[in-house]
Amino acid sequence: MTRIAGALPLLALWAVPLLAALVMAIAAAASSAAWTALLVHPQLWPALGLSLWTGTAATCLAFICALIISAGVYRSPAWPWLQPLAATGMALPHLAFAIGFGILIMPSGLVARLGVGGDTPPNWITTQDPLGLSLTIALALKEIPFLVAMIWSLLAQGDTAAHLEGQWRAARSLGHGAGSTWLRVVQPQIMRRMTWPLLIVFSYGASVVDMALVMGPTQPPPLAVIIWNDLNHGTAANNARGIAGAILLTLAIGSLAALSLLALRALGVAARPLLSAGPSPRPAPRFIAAASVGAAVLIYSAVLMLLTLLSFAPRWPYPAILPPALSLSSWQMLLTSSPALWLSLGLAAASSIMALVLVVLWFETQPRSRDRWLLVLAAASLALPQVLIAAGQYDVLLRLGLTGDIIGLFLVHLAPVIAYAAIVLAAPYRSFDQRYIAAARSLSAGPWRRWRLVKGPLLRVPLLTAAAVGFSVSMVQFVPAQLIAAGRFETLPMAAVTLTSGGSRSLSAAFALALALPPLLVFLAAAIAGRTRWR
Amino acid sequence: MALELQSVTLTLHGTPLIRSFNVGIINGEVVTLMGPSGSGKSALMSMIAGDLEAPFSATGRILLDGEDVSHILPERRRIGRLFQDDLLFPHMTVGENLLFGMPRGDKAARLARMQQALEDAGLAGFAPRAPHTLSGGQRARVALMRAMVAEPRAMLLDEPFNKLDAELRGVIRGFVFDHLRERGIPCLMVTHDRADAPAGGRVLRLMDGEVRDD
Repeated sequence: MTRIAGALPLLALWAVPLLAALVMAIAAAASSAAWTALLVHPQLWPALGLSLWTGTAATCLAFICALIISAGVYRSPAWPWLQPLAATGMALPHLAFAIGFGILIMPSGLVARLGVGGDTPPNWITTQDPLGLSLTIALALKEIPFLVAMIWSLLAQGDTAAHLEGQWRAARSLGHGAGSTWLRVVQPQIMRRMTWPLLIVFSYGASVVDMALVMGPTQPPPLAVIIWNDLNHGTAANNARGIAGAILLTLAIGSLAALSLLALRALGVAARPLLSAGPSPRPAPRFIAAASVGAAVLIYSAVLMLLTLLSFAPRWPYPAILPPALSLSSWQMLLTSSPALWLSLGLAAASSIMALVLVVLWFETQPRSRDRWLLVLAAASLALPQVLIAAGQYDVLLRLGLTGDIIGLFLVHLAPVIAYAAIVLAAPYRSFDQRYIAAARSLSAGPWRRWRLVKGPLLRVPLLTAAAVGFSVSMVQFVPAQLIAAGRFETLPMAAVTLTSGGSRSLSAAFALALALPPLLVFLAAAIAGRTRWR
Repeated sequence: MALELQSVTLTLHGTPLIRSFNVGIINGEVVTLMGPSGSGKSALMSMIAGDLEAPFSATGRILLDGEDVSHILPERRRIGRLFQDDLLFPHMTVGENLLFGMPRGDKAARLARMQQALEDAGLAGFAPRAPHTLSGGQRARVALMRAMVAEPRAMLLDEPFNKLDAELRGVIRGFVFDHLRERGIPCLMVTHDRADAPAGGRVLRLMDGEVRDD
């Protein structure tokens, strides 16, 4: 009975709607007219090619940088600092970063003002370049912290960390330098476990809509943008074509991901002789790693500083390095005349708390053997293109009469937050030392008291991290929110995307910062509240 | 002297753990160092190997055949180590584990040496096996042979028999000491258990930061 009651809320509010959404999306794409319309779309193939190119290039670039950074910093005094640094980078939403990065590199942006000058902006094509290079670079820059954090957490897990520390010493005593030890001992052992994070990054990069609307090419745009337009602005026929497009994009991403995995395996086999080639004094790539971290920190700082300055500058004519006058007008407008900020904050707080409750309830009542299904569904929901899930969610919520409704809006914000909360909490929750509970029970503590006074406090750090991750994930929901809101609600990401296409740059910067600051503050609060107070 | 420690002082957070330790170990000799937990035995091994990390710090000199190696990188010292765990690399086969530390050179010669080492350890035919398919004793022997084929100038044993059962312990101990003696490799071993020391070998005891003959 307890088991059923513990699983029911999560199944009812998340798993069943998610699976129903996928079924609906696939069913809706069964119409041959939709596929015919899709296949004759003049921009289909170039747009698909562009999507796969930006996703692949951004993933490769980000992964190579993350590996170099990790290799250079691993077991150095800077290693403990890498995780909080990466977490700070992750806390900055993709959309906010894209808006700031776009303004930084555009012809009249800060880079041109500092580097070129002159009376008029240079004739550069930076954002929205036809090859999608600026989108690729922005995606790669934004995914480096995520991949570094993933590698860091793999290497820092209790048993793994202890084993690798011993293996590291053994390899050094056998004549291998730090770089060679990383390459031959550490990296091969983490590669397979990076499959899911890489798949999530690749799928996100190949199907992203909000960043593509800000930085991506327009003729053609990436396929996800065409799909989004079909789903958002179209007739029933266009909707069906959009869903068929989402299925095609999913299949293409899945096929390319499978091919990439095979290629990686083949590379692993081809590189096998390297393992037994004998000792090499190759040092750790400390300099390149430091330069990469430095460059990333510089770009992220420049983006944040530029957004801050611009949000206070209603006018900033070229080629001035600093705005001629500062004003609070954009912030006043954001805080007083737009409900988007408060709606997004409310949804983020509610969905992160609800997700935490549901996921904790699951872990408290379900046997460990059932986690596999939870985690596979969570990872799959993050790895599948958001346009596909959003299209299905729209169909499900339309039938339930929840489109254009705050409950529907809440549910689509809740779905990815639960997925992240489950992934973040699974390992720490299941590896919790049950002897503490046995000790509390022997001291006559009931279930609630045991959780409140023993387990909760001991799991405070992962619980707070899950809440912070959930909050920031909710804040940036764009595609499903836009579809379900049906014009009746406006959240921050919707307003920010609208403003980038023709609105005031200062207001756009204020909205981007409003997207970025709450997650940053929540992460900071979680880090402060989660500090260990015992040894 | 093949391995010599001169005036080695080891500190933890600035507090001395070992004060002015001097020892000389001749080729083929195994010197045993005993002491209570937390006395700095393992940190001393890391210092000799060259990978001592904060919060420990150390002063003093380490000489190998008269050459001061105190300030060179661990991978260039050629000081082999055996730990409590065998630390075989799980993603490599037994053969690849052995080749990992073997000096570079002619491929056929290296493969022949690897096969010979496995034969010496009674593990002929085990080269393609994954480490996890081996028994504890087999793994311990592979770990020793991996260290040996790297041609170490000295060897450090950091409680390497601790996790072996009593019967296996005696067999592996004999196997390790015989190999060290045959190859004339000087060795410093730290242990909790007096019975681990080779018969007739020197035993030092670490007490209150001082090292004395037992």
